[in-house]
Amino acid sequence: MPTTEVHGAAPRPPVRWKAVLSLALAAGFGLVAMSWPLLAVPGGALTETTSGPWMFALLLPLVTAVVLMQLTDGGLDARAVAMLGVLSAVVAAVRPFGAGAAGVETVFFLLILGGRVFGPGFGFILGCTGLFASALLTGGVGPWLPYQMFAAAFVALGAGLLPRTPDTKAGRVTELAVLAVYGAFSSLLYGVLLNLSFWPFAITGGNLAYVPGGGLSENLSRLLAYSLATSLGWDIGRAITTVALVLLTGPLLLRVMRRAARKANWH
Amino acid sequence: MHRPRREPAARMSTRTSTARPTMQTAARHTAHPVAWWAWALLLATAAGRTANPWLLLLIVAVAGLVVTWCRGSEPWSGAYRVFLAIGLSAIAVRMAFYIVFGGSDGPTVLFTLPSVTLPEWAAGFRLGGNVTAEGALAALYDGLRLATLLVCVGAANALASPRRLLRSVPAALYEVSVAVVVALSVAPQLVASVGRVRRARALRGNTSRSPANLMRTIVSPVLHDALDRSLALAAAMASRGYGRATGIPAPARRATSASLLIGLLGLCAGAYALLGTTTPAPLAWTAVAVSAAVAVFGIAFASKRVPHTRYRPDRFGARDWAVVASGAAAVAGTVLSGIYEPSALWPATNPLAMPDLPMWAAGGILLATAPALLVPSARGGTP
Repeated sequence: MPTTEVHGAAPRPPVRWKAVLSLALAAGFGLVAMSWPLLAVPGGALTETTSGPWMFALLLPLVTAVVLMQLTDGGLDARAVAMLGVLSAVVAAVRPFGAGAAGVETVFFLLILGGRVFGPGFGFILGCTGLFASALLTGGVGPWLPYQMFAAAFVALGAGLLPRTPDTKAGRVTELAVLAVYGAFSSLLYGVLLNLSFWPFAITGGNLAYVPGGGLSENLSRLLAYSLATSLGWDIGRAITTVALVLLTGPLLLRVMRRAARKANWH
Repeated sequence: MHRPRREPAARMSTRTSTARPTMQTAARHTAHPVAWWAWALLLATAAGRTANPWLLLLIVAVAGLVVTWCRGSEPWSGAYRVFLAIGLSAIAVRMAFYIVFGGSDGPTVLFTLPSVTLPEWAAGFRLGGNVTAEGALAALYDGLRLATLLVCVGAANALASPRRLLRSVPAALYEVSVAVVVALSVAPQLVASVGRVRRARALRGNTSRSPANLMRTIVSPVLHDALDRSLALAAAMASRGYGRATGIPAPARRATSASLLIGLLGLCAGAYALLGTTTPAPLAWTAVAVSAAVAVFGIAFASKRVPHTRYRPDRFGARDWAVVASGAAAVAGTVLSGIYEPSALWPATNPLAMPDLPMWAAGGILLATAPALLVPSARGGTP
């Protein structure tokens, strides 16, 4: 690592063991918060009440705040804050292009590429700040925002954890292919998890509704039918647009962001 | 003849010149954004506790009244109408779901659709069939409830200024909130940057519309420009003392970390206990509540030790508490109705009947219009 007197240490937010531990705990909590309709055992406390979704919607921002505090413990570098701000602005600027059109998702490719270049810790914060800023700009703050922020943060974090590839032509092609496959996989998973978080609210009667205390097999088949009837088209659209955008813009964006990282003495 | 005519005009002009500053302070002194969010979420909680259509429509009307009276003329002030449209589409979707996938049944058949029974491997249920008035009404009530929740969220979006909301982020998340502030001010610059680069490109005679050319000649320069600007911004921030080492003593940092980790651990354990049956429910709820309190304490403890000063801190005053209390009145009303007249809160749809209006809940929801009287209209009079 080259040292310069002007910039000092590298701006990449270091991920310490406390941050890793809280990320792991938060991932577990988030999984429960989103998929409790499937996991709740018949007779358990959550199946008897309707307070589950409210509780999780209130606790998820708290958990996100705790993880963000652990990640930024000791202060973020000014370069990281400025880079986060600019990339979040880009996320907020491209997000409206995907609104309305069926399944066109224009945010994920940026989160994936950003997480890839700037690392998992930065990716997590970028997922949170990007979606938060765009919700503030468009007036789209709602109970769904904590879930979206949380899921998007983990999408970007996962992209930062993908294995490194050598800086050759073959390595760059492999990297793009890996990112595209990861993009498709994470978009589908994101769709199912967000569906799951909203499912007990969206519909309460009929063949597609969540049965409180119905057990895993009963509710899983209902969830699959519900997903098939509602969001599968959107989820597949999201996966296709993400893969296409990663492949189309990946070479350029990776080059531009790596140049900025080099200029900021990031690595 | 001239003098008496001129005098009122002169007085008028002095009045407007003195009125302008008070109007500006009135616009600044709309309620605290956290108070608006609490008010709207309490209204949404009241809506979640009932399926009575009169109450739900009353909540929509109350939210609409307060929004039209108290909102400013900022870009986000139109959010109420957008969320109203989303709510109407939620009712339509809920109705379409009922017609296609079925739901509760009743004796009054409106019409019959051709029905298909899916094979066992595809969940094995019936599509189409009888559409009954009772089932349609139940679906309508349900959709209306979801729509009311959405409308309450829309009211909060229209009323609460996001920039002021951002100032209420705990001080411990200072860096992250600075990043969001940077994002909010850079986003419009990006749009301007795209326009500038496009104009320069057109002046050079490049009118190609192929995606590869657009990527190379618009997206690439705009991104380079934005990222270079972020480096310049970082240098400016660093030169003004941002990011200097802050002297938080090691024991305080350890205490913060410990309480955050313990809180998180407790939340995970509590959530896991809530899923299963081995832990008694009161114990699991207590575990969740205690660990949430520990985590909140950790955040508050860390915020106290952050040595950043705030420019014009946004205080939570008596009027803000009154706004929150008026929202709480709506919830209290539905709770009282739940005790004294529970059947009116959840009206039966089978047999078909005109639902009653629960008095306690209606009174509480009407109290939630109080912000319209408490908070001055941000547009200076006529909404």
